[in-house]
Amino acid sequence: MQTEDRINIDIFKVVTRAIAESNNLEIMAKHLAQLLVGALEIKGVTIFATNVETKELEDLGSFGLSIRYMNKGPIHINRSIKSVEKHKAVVVKDVKNSDLLQYSADAIQEGIGAIVSVPIAFGGRVIGVLRLYHHDIWNISDRDLDSLFVLAEIIGLAMMYARMNNAIHDVKDIVGDVHDAWLE
Amino acid sequence: MDAQRILLPYNFSSNDQKTLAFVIRTFGSLENIDVTLFHAFTPLSEIEASDHQSATAKLKRRLSYLTQELTEREMALQEVRQYLIGKGFHRDNVRYIFKSRKGEISAAIIEQTKEEDYDIIVLNHRPGKVTRFFTGSVFAKVVTALRDITVCIVS
Repeated sequence: MQTEDRINIDIFKVVTRAIAESNNLEIMAKHLAQLLVGALEIKGVTIFATNVETKELEDLGSFGLSIRYMNKGPIHINRSIKSVEKHKAVVVKDVKNSDLLQYSADAIQEGIGAIVSVPIAFGGRVIGVLRLYHHDIWNISDRDLDSLFVLAEIIGLAMMYARMNNAIHDVKDIVGDVHDAWLE
Repeated sequence: MDAQRILLPYNFSSNDQKTLAFVIRTFGSLENIDVTLFHAFTPLSEIEASDHQSATAKLKRRLSYLTQELTEREMALQEVRQYLIGKGFHRDNVRYIFKSRKGEISAAIIEQTKEEDYDIIVLNHRPGKVTRFFTGSVFAKVVTALRDITVCIVS
């Protein structure tokens, strides 16, 4: 259990630098997860992207969780921690006494005591989720939760930048495949 | 006849388990098959901290303890190797590569394939994944970059 602030300006600088310096979203997500695990002294972190077609969360990058837990099954937006679509963070302080989780038995077996889930929004839509897992019951401070919200907004920007960047590269590859003979 | 060399990129996902099942089903009963399991992991984030008492210095020290996850991943890859041996592949013909990467996974797979001259590469592809929009398609990048190799796609 902890209530003191963990994320100070130094930690925030390190974390945001990891986002700014990476040109690869997968590596950025993995480094961000590592840094948050280290800074907050928690069990694990996962960054998810929202798939609006399948209504599932897809893992973009994760750290600290077992292979078994990561493969526990599809994470349904409506059955997992529920207020993902409401643009609000959800703090499950005690996993053993919560009915919000889709895979509560797996979480307990994994040794997860508490989960904090912060929506990643862009342009008014939730495009992902930042989820943090603690070993014990967790009373995260309001200030740390605020910091995580700001961080989630930056992750949202990085995700959309990566998406646009990939689209531009795809267009470049397609145009590059057009033989000069077609343009004469 | 020279052995057919198969590269099997493996990332511990449920899709990778399908790929593994395909390799066992398709190549398990054949002679002269070499299988290389390949996992390229993201190294720990590098942090610069000049002041040893600063929060970032403490974070740097804590991160060094987090290498445990990499050890667990390597052990899991060894278990997959043992699983293949248990399914009929000869012990000497199954190996694994567990290495660090700085760039995209697709680039690591392409580099490995070119370096060791494989005959077959087995990939998986799950249509409709949204993460592909953000990270790019490993399947598409590998397939379009390689020449003179058989690419098996498990969907």
